[in-house]
Amino acid sequence: MALLEINDLHASVAGNKILKGINLTINPGEVHAIMGPNGSGKSTLSNVLSGNEAYEKTQGEILFEGKNLDDLAAHERARAGIFLAFQYPVEIPGISNMYFLKAAVNAVREYRGEEQLDAMDFLDLVEEKKTVMHIRDDLLERAVNSGFSGGEKKRNEIFQMAMLEPKLGILDETDSGLDIDALRIVSDGVNALRSPERGFLVITHYQRLLDYIVPDFVHVIVDGQIVKSGGKELALELETEGYASWNGE
Amino acid sequence: MNLTELRKKAEADFKTKGFPTTKEELWRFTDVSALAKLELSNDWKPSDLEFQSLGSYCLVFENGKLSTGKSNVGGLPEGVRVGSIMDRIDPRLGTLADAQSAFVAANTARFSDGAFIEIAEGVELDSPIHLVYLADADGAAFHLRNFVSAGAGSKVAIVEEYIGSSNATYWTNAVTEVFAADGASVDHYKIQREGVSAFHFQTLEAQLGANAVFSNHAVTLGAGLGRNDIHGKLAGEGGEAICNGLYLLNGKQHFDTHLFMDHAVPSCNSHELYKGILDEKARAVFCGRILVRQDAQQTDAVQSNKNLLLSRGAKVNTLPQLEIYADDVKCTHGTTIGELDETALYYLQTRGIDPVRGKAMLTYAFANEVLGEMQCAPVKARVAQLVHAWLERVSG
Repeated sequence: MALLEINDLHASVAGNKILKGINLTINPGEVHAIMGPNGSGKSTLSNVLSGNEAYEKTQGEILFEGKNLDDLAAHERARAGIFLAFQYPVEIPGISNMYFLKAAVNAVREYRGEEQLDAMDFLDLVEEKKTVMHIRDDLLERAVNSGFSGGEKKRNEIFQMAMLEPKLGILDETDSGLDIDALRIVSDGVNALRSPERGFLVITHYQRLLDYIVPDFVHVIVDGQIVKSGGKELALELETEGYASWNGE
Repeated sequence: MNLTELRKKAEADFKTKGFPTTKEELWRFTDVSALAKLELSNDWKPSDLEFQSLGSYCLVFENGKLSTGKSNVGGLPEGVRVGSIMDRIDPRLGTLADAQSAFVAANTARFSDGAFIEIAEGVELDSPIHLVYLADADGAAFHLRNFVSAGAGSKVAIVEEYIGSSNATYWTNAVTEVFAADGASVDHYKIQREGVSAFHFQTLEAQLGANAVFSNHAVTLGAGLGRNDIHGKLAGEGGEAICNGLYLLNGKQHFDTHLFMDHAVPSCNSHELYKGILDEKARAVFCGRILVRQDAQQTDAVQSNKNLLLSRGAKVNTLPQLEIYADDVKCTHGTTIGELDETALYYLQTRGIDPVRGKAMLTYAFANEVLGEMQCAPVKARVAQLVHAWLERVSG
């Protein structure tokens, strides 16, 4: 069974039609990249998939492991195994990263019928996962994303993904604002999570990220529709030719 | 003036003035006519309420009267006196508390008990002094008078905790005067969790000597109608006053905070952080006045009042007032009134946290900034508990 199956998806935000018939299938173990110019609907797609209520699905269907996502709220989709790494991770003053993570991990575990982690087991899990993402202890104690640098925020996103072990990871322009070192750390983190069971949807504006996270498939989205799909070589093609040839059609 | 004369004058003042009305500028948003109409008696009864002591020393007042049986002030170090104000009237009593206020006048005229705390020069107390006021006598008026004298270089933490019963209608009218001598450090807390039918009014007056530090945290959860009047007087150079507060209100609660920081001399700091969370039809008033007198150069004063409204019916009036007569000062103030951050709530949801839990987490986080400023660990833990319990109540 496909991990994610999107059929003829249309969606609007604030009354504006953004997605105009998206079709996409992701099987377990596959990494799909979606590339496109600004305003093409890349971020709308990630928000619709993760259940942001500000985005309205107007037509089509989204199946996750064969199950229709329509009736699932954002937290239920997260528990079912969909993880969105934000383009702009939200700062939450007053809640420590550790407290937040523990609440998240236990919410997901409860859904999966697993036992709640106590303080000790939780710390063990943090120790295991933090090294690969170069997460320093002071970042764990600080309020969620508050005062984090751009790179720290993105590393924190992938660290959260490692902690929650989703079935589908959606990376929404995770490379934006990253220098080359941070890009490498983030990519290493994602690559470490690649497995035959887990799928990824990597949304990016630039080809650069795909040198590090090598996709199985590349799709080009323009004006709310996928206009071309291919292998990883399609990204290189775009790099030289740009999106210009699809714009205005 | 001796106490008898002071009381006589105060009674006359109160009779002439009567309760304030909303026509007075300082009472514009708070209508106390329901209190003025109340029939009150002086019959005493013991209290059924329970409390948990926060440290080694506690003084318990049961429906306005000191209970020696419930109190525990054994083992106080030498140079520290903690007892009933009726046993010790300091000549400075009434010199700070503003006789212009009807509530202070009524208190001075009629106070029947309260705490007297004296810390000798250089003495440091390692455990807080917990003052507990239990109130469950329907139709009673409690005029409580507290007096704190912290000697030069002394150090003390004091917690006033007002605990009430939800089915008694009564009036708590407290006045606390604090004298912090040069270099003294007074860490003062007030936790007010009276019943929702109660009227609660308190005037807190603190005078700081040179290099003295006075901090006050006012945590308000209770009373149907109430007000804190807090006055800090920076009277010696290098003094530092911290006045923070947290009010959590729901139902039809109305709570008013009037803060007045008086910078009379140079080189003093004052910091004020007030946060409020309001649900249902609750109403809060915050008036923060900072006066920087002509001599008070190099003043550093910061004031902030932030409010979170959990319901459309809740309302806040916030009025920052800066009055600056010196020219070399740093003063800032800011106020906000807002709702929960939807983006943050969505972020929590995408991590599997359901919206009810997410809202509670974000609301707690909003309050947590004030808790973070509290230095006394047992008080901070108690307040954290109270905030969690309140959140559970309003979200459940």
